Amino acid sequence: MQTRGPSIWERMLSIDRRILYLLLFANIVLFLLLPIRMRAAVSPPVQKFYDEIEKLQPGDLVMISSNWSASTLAENQPQLEAVIRHLMRKKAKFTLISVEAQSRDISYRLASRLTPEGGYEYGRDWAHFGFVTNLIVSIKGMVNNLPDTIKKDVRGTPVSELPLLKGITSLRQYKMIIDVTPSATVPFWISYAPKETKILYCPTSVMAAEAYTFLDSGQIKGMITGAKGAQEYEQLLGIVGLGTRFVNAISFSHVLIILFIFLGNLALFMNRRQMRQEG
Amino acid sequence: MWQIQNPNTPTGQLILWMIVLGAFIMIMGLVPLLHALPPRGRRAIIVIITFITGLFFATEFFLPINKEQKNFLTDAIQPAQQAVQVITALALGLGTYGLVRLHLRNVVQRRTQWGYSLVLLISFVVMATFSIANTLSEQGLVEKTPLLEQGFKLLFDYTLVQLDAAMFSLIAFYIFSAAYRAFRIRSVEAGILMFTAIVVMIGVVPLGATISPYLPGVANWILTSLNAPVQRAIEFGVGIGGLAMAIRLWLSLERGVT
Amino acid sequence: MDLQQFLPLSLDRINVWIGVLCTLAIYSLLYRENPLYRFFEHMYIGLAAGYSLGPLGVDILYRYWITPIWVQGQWAWAFLVPFGMYLYFIYSERYGWVSRLVIGALVGTSAGLFFQEFASRYVVQLHSTLSRPLWMSSANPEADLFGVITNWVFIIILVSVLVYFTFSYPQKGVVKNVATAGRWFLMIGLGAIFGNTVMARMALLIGRIYYLLSDWLMIRI
Repeated sequence: MQTRGPSIWERMLSIDRRILYLLLFANIVLFLLLPIRMRAAVSPPVQKFYDEIEKLQPGDLVMISSNWSASTLAENQPQLEAVIRHLMRKKAKFTLISVEAQSRDISYRLASRLTPEGGYEYGRDWAHFGFVTNLIVSIKGMVNNLPDTIKKDVRGTPVSELPLLKGITSLRQYKMIIDVTPSATVPFWISYAPKETKILYCPTSVMAAEAYTFLDSGQIKGMITGAKGAQEYEQLLGIVGLGTRFVNAISFSHVLIILFIFLGNLALFMNRRQMRQEG
Repeated sequence: MWQIQNPNTPTGQLILWMIVLGAFIMIMGLVPLLHALPPRGRRAIIVIITFITGLFFATEFFLPINKEQKNFLTDAIQPAQQAVQVITALALGLGTYGLVRLHLRNVVQRRTQWGYSLVLLISFVVMATFSIANTLSEQGLVEKTPLLEQGFKLLFDYTLVQLDAAMFSLIAFYIFSAAYRAFRIRSVEAGILMFTAIVVMIGVVPLGATISPYLPGVANWILTSLNAPVQRAIEFGVGIGGLAMAIRLWLSLERGVT
Repeated sequence: MDLQQFLPLSLDRINVWIGVLCTLAIYSLLYRENPLYRFFEHMYIGLAAGYSLGPLGVDILYRYWITPIWVQGQWAWAFLVPFGMYLYFIYSERYGWVSRLVIGALVGTSAGLFFQEFASRYVVQLHSTLSRPLWMSSANPEADLFGVITNWVFIIILVSVLVYFTFSYPQKGVVKNVATAGRWFLMIGLGAIFGNTVMARMALLIGRIYYLLSDWLMIRI
């Protein structure tokens, strides 16, 4: 008896995973190289984020909680770069703190690289508080007595001696907290930071959907969602950063994935129909 | 009372070393004594420690505050946070210790593929040396030599960061493959999930705005009006569950933990 | 492309080539499990573990334990690290229980802190939910028709999902229908999370490919 070979639907269903990987890789290379720049419709959370920073006055103090490692570099780096650039435009001063060990060095190096662009000087305009293992008690400590909680910055200078923090005794004196993170750290800031200090949020896209409840309740005032949100922010700032460079590839990788979900379902449906017809 | 005078003199340093050594001997010497207690006694000590630490933070929050936003426990937060930072650091170090211990055994006992364990241990020692030296040099405690600077740059920026980023980017390939092979629309639920995902995926990127100027608005409405209440319902569940669990843990009703 | 600039002939280029080697070695797993991947995987774990000792040792132990004792003379801190070291008894069969003294302290701390989190995180959301205007009146001058409808949608979804998650009573009749609607609404939330997850994962891969194209192949993007 002659057996029939696998149908096109069967072959589609048993496609080698490496072909799929290659397709995704090629798709991203192609759309990264595409010279077209599409304009985004700026989403309300990003616009609110931008507006909140626009309200800052020169000299206002902002706490940046940078808690990401290289594993989410492509999502959080564009956000942090865009935010620091905006803060420098507004002449706002900022301090960084990390509850993730790697982020201590990554964010310190990133800020050291960017700040000369705005004429910022370490200690006078910005500082890094280094790594802490427990963010909750750090926040509670900083609310009560910031210099005694942080003690020294990454350069070993007592924070009470930093010109930037002259007269600063509590986190209450900060105008804003910006959490750049791939982890669930923003609830800690919401829960333990002073109520009068505004909280802005830069999560990876994975975390963003869950944060809409905080946006709705006003517990966070604005949000930049991953690299895509960073592209919208760069558009508002009128700069070309990593978000802008990534966004074409993000758009078309979504198209590819949707297409393949559709194809996978179509192949399954057609294969079943064929099997039913063949009894 | 809690501070010695002139700690930076040779005598002060000697006294401090003696105290630290004494503290180590004393605390470690307590272990056999504690071990001599019956199981109920041991558990009672754990329960008391858990209750007191919880009570401190709970009371600090619940007690009324004065005009300076403080109560009589507020100033104790600072040393408490200092203690928690150190203990948490030691807890994090426990993971590293376990990892090194396991791979050291692999190498010593020449277990299967012990060569990889050796690679891990060498990487660990080299990176630990450079990481500690670099962090100390930033604080001006050791000299920042070109070897240290270049070595740390190579190990951190061009090796660890690259490996970390590459390792986590692999998930994109798997998610793509899984979406093709396993995302089957066989029920209303799957259909709703898929529809929402597609609208969000296309609506929030610039391509969505290029296809239709209304698409970003629809995606935003889904996220703010339909997704937000769902997330809030989950939050309420997590909050009530978390509160119940916190009380159980605090009172040591949750066996197996304390 | 200038070949002289591309090849690893300078220190900076050697660094970039090493970064590329690391990336490609990890990606070799996509083809199949292989010794090169295993080598770099173990190197990665070793580097990550080794790196953590710098921040843990200097930012925490030096800042919060060594300096207070040896620089400021606050001798009482001397008892803290030996107590914390009890954690390491976890590997001892005989004295393993001693580690629970420290774990108890950490668990108690987290539990005690949660009360503040409950009040500041969840109660505020409850307040925000209950204060949504559900009709237009002089008491809510800012409420418009679309806003009111959206608020009703918000409340209906919230209640349905909560009903779906409540198992304290049998889900029959109307309750069952509400719970079914809740399950469907829940799928909207999960769909949003799925869409965003895909976006995040793609971005991470795009970042890596960007590195290969921009830093290694020196293509201007």
